[in-house]
Amino acid sequence: MKNLLEIQNTHVYIGSFYILQGISLVVPKGEVTLLLGRNGSGKTTTMKSILGIYPPKEGSIVFKGEEITNLPTHKIVNKGIGYVPDTRRIFGSLSVEQNLIVSMRKGSSRDDMQYRLDIIFELFPDMRGFMKQRAGTLSGGQQQMLAVARALMNENELLLIDEPTEGLSPLLAKNLINSLDRLKEYATILMVEQNFRAVSKLGDNFYIFDNGKIVHEGNNMDELIEDKALVAQYLGVSI
Amino acid sequence: MTMKGERFSPRIYMEENPKIRQILKIALVVVFVIIGALLVVVAIDVYTWNGFVVRASKSLVDGLALSMLLFLMVSGFFLIFGLCDVINFAHGAFFMLGGFMGFVIYIATEAVFLDPTLPFYLLFGENYFALSVVAFIVSAFGATAVLALIGGGIEFFTIRRLYGNPIAQILLTVGFMFIITQMAEIIWAPSQITFDIIQWSQISYFFISGIIDFGGGLQFDLYRIFLIFLGLAVAGLMFVGFKKTRIGLQIQAGIEDSEMVEALGTDIRKLFTIVFMLGAGLAGLSGAVLVPWIGANAGHGLTYLIFAFVIVVVGGAHYGRFEGTFFGALIVGLSMQFTAYFIPFLENIIVFIIMAIILIIRPGGLTGHA
Repeated sequence: MKNLLEIQNTHVYIGSFYILQGISLVVPKGEVTLLLGRNGSGKTTTMKSILGIYPPKEGSIVFKGEEITNLPTHKIVNKGIGYVPDTRRIFGSLSVEQNLIVSMRKGSSRDDMQYRLDIIFELFPDMRGFMKQRAGTLSGGQQQMLAVARALMNENELLLIDEPTEGLSPLLAKNLINSLDRLKEYATILMVEQNFRAVSKLGDNFYIFDNGKIVHEGNNMDELIEDKALVAQYLGVSI
Repeated sequence: MTMKGERFSPRIYMEENPKIRQILKIALVVVFVIIGALLVVVAIDVYTWNGFVVRASKSLVDGLALSMLLFLMVSGFFLIFGLCDVINFAHGAFFMLGGFMGFVIYIATEAVFLDPTLPFYLLFGENYFALSVVAFIVSAFGATAVLALIGGGIEFFTIRRLYGNPIAQILLTVGFMFIITQMAEIIWAPSQITFDIIQWSQISYFFISGIIDFGGGLQFDLYRIFLIFLGLAVAGLMFVGFKKTRIGLQIQAGIEDSEMVEALGTDIRKLFTIVFMLGAGLAGLSGAVLVPWIGANAGHGLTYLIFAFVIVVVGGAHYGRFEGTFFGALIVGLSMQFTAYFIPFLENIIVFIIMAIILIIRPGGLTGHA
């Protein structure tokens, strides 16, 4: 099976708003797929419809060859999807360690936890230093590490990572992207990112969203960066 | 600095002048201490020193007992509100029903133990003390279990369909409050039921008549001291449960962001049902342990619902602070009992006066945002 996730012609409404107007995309196994586009173009909604938070009215979502379209969120996630949300959404009143414990699924043992922590500390060595700290007191960069670490507490084949560099300084963003690059060894990644230049070396495939539709797709990030007309039209930056 | 032409605002002025703010804060504390000291002096003058000591210590014990009881009830209300975002107007009715359930289960258990034709008779024989204690424990657990089932059932069959629809939730829970209250009035009549009026009840051997006497008029009801320890024990248990167990952490995390907890793989609906059972069970337990002291009364539903609201607002628990329920309950319980002993005509309104003062000084309650 080459494609870990396949989305077929999905239509998603939030309340009475027609947000996703027939999205089709595939996430090949072992690769990094980027969703690009302006604010409000439907990238985050696509993530949330995969998770079943906004289930599609029409269309199908297939994960590991299995239809997950109308399953409740926790069942979808338990099939092996880790979610790193756009505003981090860590649990501020809990300690970092407790945040990680909450993220472990039913049936995980203490050994599993140690194994997972080893992976996390390898990716983010700094995290060792603030395991006992209250998550609400962490800096933005530390919170983002925790948000990613939370998704790594389980054996997830697919990671949905929404705007990981949002609100981080350029240096912190660069460090994080380096860590995400090493994350490719462990899982397939579907990532939303505004700052497509920063993640250009990370992405294997990309889709460009505009007004709830996919307007462009490709698998060469360098070509995309060179294509000034396309960038100016859909990604809102002209240099 | 305030801009020219802008109206003078005390709040902005305070924010710009932290020193004056500091001085005002200290002045406020001093004023409260002086008022408190004056009240104490007046009380000593009216009741004599000895009378003052007796009244003060009694109101302290009774106040702590009431606080713990209120804390048990309100922590259930808080859990349901915090995690499920449901303002459970039926919570007071759960509490009231817990009282009647405790009463009924107590009488039934006692009758079983006292019936010479049943094998349980041999368990205690003529040892009425042990008998009433065991029957009481059975009644407390029984009321907890019955109310947990009722609360879980109400969540599973009705409220579950109404998440994200607050108006419908309010109407539904208010409806359950009236249904449960009316049912209690029909079954047990509107009058107060206490263990005292049931002559064949053995509970007075231990709980109602049990007194610790320190001499000099310093007598304390055993049962109220027991309530203090029960409340502390349950509070400690819940505190440890929240910190150390996975489900406790999940509940805490869910209070902050339930969608995220679900997106991490937890069946949040199941957690909601569990929390409803836990909350209603706590209401049942607190209602059942209230009976030997204050009794069971169909009117308790509304009275204690209002106390629950006051405690949550005073403590700032509506900002998701669990400890807020504890401090709120302490303030309400203690102030009610102190006024009951010293200024009896204020007993029923003191909590609202205190609530008004606290909300003026700290709009977010004790633990909420200033």
